[in-house]
This record gives sequence, C-alpha cells and structure tokens, in this order.
Amino acid sequence: MPTKIDLHRGGKPPKPVDSILGPGNKGGLGQIIFRRYFLENLIRQIPNSTAHPRWISAKNVIGERIDVVVDCFHVLYFPIGNRGTITKIKMMETSAMAAPPLAVETIGLTKRYPLTWKRKVLVALDHLDLQVRQGEVFGLLGPNGSGKSTTLKLLLGLIVPSEGEARVFGLPPDSLEARNRIGFLPENPYFYAFLNGDETLRFYGKLCGLSGTKLEKRIEELIDLVGLQNGRERPLRSYSKGMLQRIGLAQALIHDPDLLFLDEPTAGVDPLGSVQIRDLILRLKKMGKTVIFSSHLLEQVQEVADRVAIFSLGKKVLEGSLESLLTVHQSTQVLIPAEMTPGQQDKLRQFLAQDGVDEKEIRFTRPSLSLEQLYLRTVQNQPDAVPKDQPRP
Amino acid sequence: MIASLHRILIIGRNTLTEAVRQKVLSVLLVFALIQICCSIFISQLATPDLDAAGLFTEQIKLVKDAGCGAIGLFGFFIALLSTALLIPQELDKRTIYTILAKPVRRAEFLLGKFLGVVLLLALCVALMSLAFAVTLYWQESIGLATVEASYGTAGDWQHNAHATEMHDNDVAHIISQVRDPQLVEAILLIFAKIIMTAAIALLISTFATSWIFTVITTFLIYLIGHGESLARIYWLAHGAETTIWQSGLIGLIALLIPDMNSFTIVDEILAGHQVPWHDVLNLLCYANVYVIVLLAVSVVVFDYREL
Repeated sequence: MPTKIDLHRGGKPPKPVDSILGPGNKGGLGQIIFRRYFLENLIRQIPNSTAHPRWISAKNVIGERIDVVVDCFHVLYFPIGNRGTITKIKMMETSAMAAPPLAVETIGLTKRYPLTWKRKVLVALDHLDLQVRQGEVFGLLGPNGSGKSTTLKLLLGLIVPSEGEARVFGLPPDSLEARNRIGFLPENPYFYAFLNGDETLRFYGKLCGLSGTKLEKRIEELIDLVGLQNGRERPLRSYSKGMLQRIGLAQALIHDPDLLFLDEPTAGVDPLGSVQIRDLILRLKKMGKTVIFSSHLLEQVQEVADRVAIFSLGKKVLEGSLESLLTVHQSTQVLIPAEMTPGQQDKLRQFLAQDGVDEKEIRFTRPSLSLEQLYLRTVQNQPDAVPKDQPRP
Repeated sequence: MIASLHRILIIGRNTLTEAVRQKVLSVLLVFALIQICCSIFISQLATPDLDAAGLFTEQIKLVKDAGCGAIGLFGFFIALLSTALLIPQELDKRTIYTILAKPVRRAEFLLGKFLGVVLLLALCVALMSLAFAVTLYWQESIGLATVEASYGTAGDWQHNAHATEMHDNDVAHIISQVRDPQLVEAILLIFAKIIMTAAIALLISTFATSWIFTVITTFLIYLIGHGESLARIYWLAHGAETTIWQSGLIGLIALLIPDMNSFTIVDEILAGHQVPWHDVLNLLCYANVYVIVLLAVSVVVFDYREL
C-alpha cells in the first residue's frame, strides 16, 4: 500500500541529498548519501521504527528510482533532480519484500594502531562496509594480517574502532545484549589448562547465566555435538589441538547464540576433524544460526559459505556470493559416466565446430578426485574411522 | 546487579581454583608453614638457660615475631606475584577473549580476578595463622612443662602458699603471653596490608606491558610507602623552611602512595603494648578506602586498554 509522506511540511524543500556517488541519476548502481535531518524525518514517519539514521543508505539507484528498505518499509525515492533534490517519495509496507534482518553491519569500520617508535600508523582495517544477513554463512578470506581477526575483534567489542561503527543485531557490539547472542571461537583457542572439559563448559555456561539441571543438560548436548566424550574428565592441559578446537566450539555454543564468530575453526585440525567441523557449521546453518568464519582452507570455505569477502592489507577487495564469484560464464563442462573413445571425441568436436565453436578451444579431461576426497574416502572406509571413546589402558 | 555480582563471584572462584591447582603457590605456602613451625627451634636456641619463667617472654616474643613476620612476608610475595601475573597470563593465553566475548563486562572481569586473589590470600593467611597458632600452643606447652618441672624438683611446694602463688603466677604469665587476643588485631592488619599491596599491583598491571614491570613498581611503591611518613615527619620538623611546592609535593605523594608505615603498630602489638581496637579499626578503614579507590581507578584504566 503506497502511502504519501510529507517530509517538509510546507515551505521550500531543503536539499535532502548530500552527495551522489557513482552513476547516480544516470541510472545503474550507485550510492546516495542523505542529509541526517532528512533521514531522521523519514524515520519519524515510519511507525515503530528503531532504525538509526546512520544505518540507512540507498540500496539501489535504478534509472530515476532509488530503493531504500527501512525496517519493514520499502521507501521509493524518485526522481532525483539535477541538484540532488528528491521530488516524490513513496513508502509501502514490504514484509514480503524485505530481506531477513541484518545480523552484522559495519559502516566505514576502521582500526589504526599507532606505531609509537616509528611515528607511523598501521592500518589494520580500512573503512570496511559489511552486511551479513541473519541465517547466512559468511566466509572471511585473506592472507595473514589482512584484517580478518581485527574485524572479528571489533565486532565483539574487544577493541574500539578508530573510525566508523559496527552493529550486531542493531546493537553496539560491546553491549551485554549483543554478546548474549554471540558465540566466539578465537584463533588457536587456549582455555584454562587446569579445568577439565566439563568444568570448562560449566564455567562459561555460568558466565552466561545458565545454572542447575539446565546447564548440565546443555553440557551433555554439546559434548555429544562436538564428539568430546573422551575429554570430559581430562584436564585441558592434556588435550590435542583438535580437542581444544572442539571444546572451543562447545563453549562458543553454550548459551545457544544466534550468531557465531569462528576464527579459523579448522586450523591445526586433521582433515577428518575439519570435515566434522564443516558439517557442524552446516548443521548450525540449518538451525538458522548466522556464522561468520575465517579460514585458509579455501576448499572448505567453498563447501559451506553462502557469501565470502576477500581481504588484503586491511581492505575488503572482493565480496559476493560464491556462485556469482566462481562461475566461469564463458565455458561449459559436460560430465559423461563412461570412457570416451578418440572416435567419439572427434565426432563431438566436429559437431560443435559446425555450430561455430572454435575447435582448438575444446578440451577433453577426466574428472579427478581431490587429495582431500581421496584421504577422507580411505580413512572413512576403515572400520574404526571415526575416533571412538576408548578406555585408556 | 545481582547477575553482575554473580559473574564476579564465578570469575573469582575460577581464579582461586587456578591458583590452588597451580603448584607454585602451594610450594610458597608450604615454605611459609615450615618457617613458622621452625621458629620454635630458633626460640629454643635464643634462651638455652630455661630455669626462670620470665625468660619465656623472650622465647614467646620470638615465636610471635617470626610467625607474624612470615605471614607478612610470604603473604606479600604471594599477593605480589599472583596479582602481577593475573592480567598478563590472561592476555598471553588469550583466555580473556573467550570471557569478554560472553556477556561479561570488563569491570566484572577485573573485579572477579581481584576477588580471586583476595580469596586466595585469605586462604593463605588463614592457613599460616593456623600454623602460627599451633606453634604458639607448642611453645606454651614447652613453657608450662618447664615450669612444672622446675617446681616439681623443689619438693612439696604445693603446701607452701607463697610457692603456689608463684607457680600460678608463672603459669598465668605464660598463658597470657601466648593467648594474646591482640594477635587477632595483628593478623587483621597484616592481611589489610597484603590486600593493599595486591590492589596496587592490580592497578599497575592494568596498564603495564610486562609483569616484571608490575612487580618492580609495586615493590618500589611499597618501599616508598614505608619511607613516606618518615619524610613527612622530617619536613614537618623543619616546618618553617617548607615552601608551598614542597608541602604540595608531600601532599601529592601522600595521596598517591599509601602510608605503609602506619602498619608498624603491628610491632607495638608484638612488643606487648596495648593497642586499642579503635586504632586498628581506623587503620582497617584507611586500607579499605584505599583499596576501593585503587579498584575504581583500575576499572577505568582497564576499560580503555586495547586488548
């Protein structure tokens, strides 16, 4: 239902737009930055809106139309006058059209570390704009020191941004409300070595306000989920790297958070263990959790992530869904479940050449297993491939 | 508020568990206990001639000195080391991230850690006090046995009113020396002093980049805290010569560094002088206020720290 809204209440309308970047009024994708008072005014018109003016920006500039989604309202602006004035505004409820709400949003998030002795500044993260919707699995990729861990730390409120802002479920990241909904597995996790598996989970559970039978039940569930039955009574001092990673995952999940930050969850874990962690991430996704993780194992990222962002030197250099990023549009692969004789290959080549395909560009290859697939097949076919809880001699 | 206190308690208990399960502090504690118990043998050396009951005053004072000294010294070291390592350990092993990623405020984390140290120190002081009490009781029984023995050889003194009175006096003298209620005051004061040391170390460790820095600085502040009142007395004695700057400097030092020397009234107690509870409570209040201020500053500093 389109509703007309009155933003200016008589008088000459002031200029609502601050700047137009990119194609802007010529059509195509671009960015429009609105004046603050204009957005505040706009939000005031929307019933029950909790949006913050800073958190709204135009999503699309298509032709002369700009689409903005504020909460559940779809706001259409059009057209843009030549001096950045908006002449007509339409607003309608779009519960069906609205995408799931954001789990994480950052605007111009920047972290600089002053290097005291060198009079220089290290830019660990440079104006990051990131949006992750609820229910997404988002992969952060990039070489060491490219800003992935800094991003996670900023989103957890462990460090304060030098510039810009981050929001988690619309809340400031260092608020208790936000952290109640976040689970975090740090890189190379290390917990209190003097506690055993159960005590570790009990400690973190109590910190999250759990107690009594509810907590004990949750501990049982998580031990089962991460497969750590053999670590319950052992102090963490004696844990292997893979076991530490598992107990880390369990403690991150103890309060049933909606959003998970996993910093290299598969680092140092054997291939079988890392496949189990991958399966766990997929299971969490099915449960409707949002997962943001960083990893160097690109093949695994490809298997679980919906979208990825690639970082380099503190900057996000690429972002998008895996499908859109990885599909090579100029070629086609055909898989045939049989060996192809040279005669058949020639026939096919001639057939395609008749259709205008360059004969030299046609190649025949056999699909091959990746080493990982081979390893997993071999190990999993062993009768005791999955490590069982065995009594120690 | 209650949830907040609950979290502080959980972190405190975890810190205590950590300290107890780590062997280093237990070793330190065992040494302290041995040292306290050994004081009895040292006291025997001090007075090889045991015929007069009056000499036990000397022996008992030695045991008291050694006991309170050991509690103070070992308490100081345990407080200094365990507090100085509190934050660096968490940062080194990055366990702090796992805690602060949970709904826990930084202030709660810091106060919880400090609570753990206070619990640990209370435990250590309690154990050392117990060893101290046992040693004193031991010294008492040695003293009483010697008195009985000396009267026993003197024949039927029990029919002699004068001798009986002397015997009873000697016994009462020893018992009153040993079971001195003022020792409770002394131990409370020593405990307060130890906690103050821990609070200073905590504040320094919130901005220090290494634990060695924390240990050295705390130690220096401790020393200055002892010399401070002496300096003040000196300056006041030369009152006419002090300028505004000098008295300002003294005031600033007095504000920043706690007056550790006021705790020397423990020595008065050990010397057998009467120290009224009023003075002790005053000093405990002073320590309490100081610790609260130090904790408040620590919380603020720690809030701004980059982790």
